[in-house]
Amino acid sequence: MRHTAVEDWSRGSSFLHQRAAGAKLLTIACLLVLLATAHRRIVVLSAALFLLLVWAIVAARLPLRGILSRAAVVLPFGGIFALISWLSGDNGRAVELILKSYLSALAVLVLMGTTTLPELVRTLELIKVPPFLLTVMQFLYRYLFVVLDEASHMRSAAASRGGMTFRAATGVLAVLFARSYSRAEGIHRAMMARGFDGRFRLLAARRFSAADAQFAAITILLLLLLRASAEVLH
Amino acid sequence: MHIPDGFLSTPVWAALDALAAPAAAFAARRAQRGFDDSKAPLLGVMGAFVFAAQMINFPVGVGTSGHLVGGALLSVTLGPAAASVVMTAILVIQALLFQDGGVLALGANVLNMAVVGVLAGYLPYHLWGRGRTRRAAIFAGGALSVLASAVLALAELLLSGVRMPGSVLGISLGLFLISAMIEGAITIAVVTALENIQPGFVRQPAAGHSVLLSAVGITAVLLAAGGVVFASTAPDGIEHLAIQAGLSKPLSNYGGGAGVAGVGLVFLLLIVGGRVIRKRSA
Repeated sequence: MRHTAVEDWSRGSSFLHQRAAGAKLLTIACLLVLLATAHRRIVVLSAALFLLLVWAIVAARLPLRGILSRAAVVLPFGGIFALISWLSGDNGRAVELILKSYLSALAVLVLMGTTTLPELVRTLELIKVPPFLLTVMQFLYRYLFVVLDEASHMRSAAASRGGMTFRAATGVLAVLFARSYSRAEGIHRAMMARGFDGRFRLLAARRFSAADAQFAAITILLLLLLRASAEVLH
Repeated sequence: MHIPDGFLSTPVWAALDALAAPAAAFAARRAQRGFDDSKAPLLGVMGAFVFAAQMINFPVGVGTSGHLVGGALLSVTLGPAAASVVMTAILVIQALLFQDGGVLALGANVLNMAVVGVLAGYLPYHLWGRGRTRRAAIFAGGALSVLASAVLALAELLLSGVRMPGSVLGISLGLFLISAMIEGAITIAVVTALENIQPGFVRQPAAGHSVLLSAVGITAVLLAAGGVVFASTAPDGIEHLAIQAGLSKPLSNYGGGAGVAGVGLVFLLLIVGGRVIRKRSA
């Protein structure tokens, strides 16, 4: 079964992969907030954060080019707004938009490239995200590629029958809807028959160990230092 | 329309995160009600459906094609609370695994698309979804859901100080209107096709609607539209007013009007939407 590249990356075994999801979530959240609230010396701060993230990618034995280019999907949207800002005379904002959006995407990729989705979900549950929402997310992800494949087949079928007209596309969606719905009913019945009660029982989350605490503390301290220097050295 | 990180100012993304969390929790509780078994598999798979559906191109003219966003379609088939949960799940997966939308900006995106977008998609159907106005109501729902989400996103960006000269604003609004029309057309087309496959897919709206609710709904839309148009045509006037009113910092260009429009729309939609949901469960 196909899945995203990120899922493959998240199944590694580097020391970063072995850190508790909560520690990684905390440090990345910290990075995102520090980046979002920074306005001085953005270029220097961004360079420092970029190096930090590249180090993390290499330490986690993740494909550097793959991740750097995957983060680049935010650039078209950011680029348009940056261009408009630049042309309106707001050069600072233009630079900020590009740097912040790219680095934020990169940071999230580093998180998801070293943490499996089930682990992340388990941690989100601990911080009181509604379990129902999390279960829906997991089912969504599980069946995403099944439904995508089906949609892709229908698209080819329509194309070979005279192109995707508005009418044909409507038919594709309606049939896809109906099949998804009945697939979901089948899944529901099958899971009920196996004792599903609405919640996935995951293996116990990795215990938060001393190593995790150290990792989180050191990294967050480093981030704070970087941000502080950016402010002070202005 | 998914806002990435780095675009919104801190007060804006933080406030929206704080607003979106209880809204999402409310929708989750609501969507689960009345069933002993879990609806999670259904909602999850329908989320996967919307994901896949967003990739099907609908040709709409010379070289242009649009695609379904899905808020209105989901709300008319699953109900607004379930639709909201599905859209939230989609947005979180998109932010985490596809870098479509920021993580700190999730509150904004969830409010725009999973809360306001879904409510705006459902409201016309709830009010006018019976009888002769049914098809128009479904079309209006699709159009309104896209329009509301887009206008809100625009307002949030402007409030955060992102520059948008008048011409760009005008083009954006034009594009929003076109997308809105496309969403309306696709939504009604798919709903019609679904009813041919199995009438039970599309739920009947609650019987009896109040004139007051209709009036409030229309007012909300007019206020929002008016706010945005006003903002795009008289930015200097707004800034002047704002400074005169005692605001210490002159609002960024267009931020004032668009901000008012956005806030007005959210406020009114939430009030009306709240009453609609309470009515449905009565």
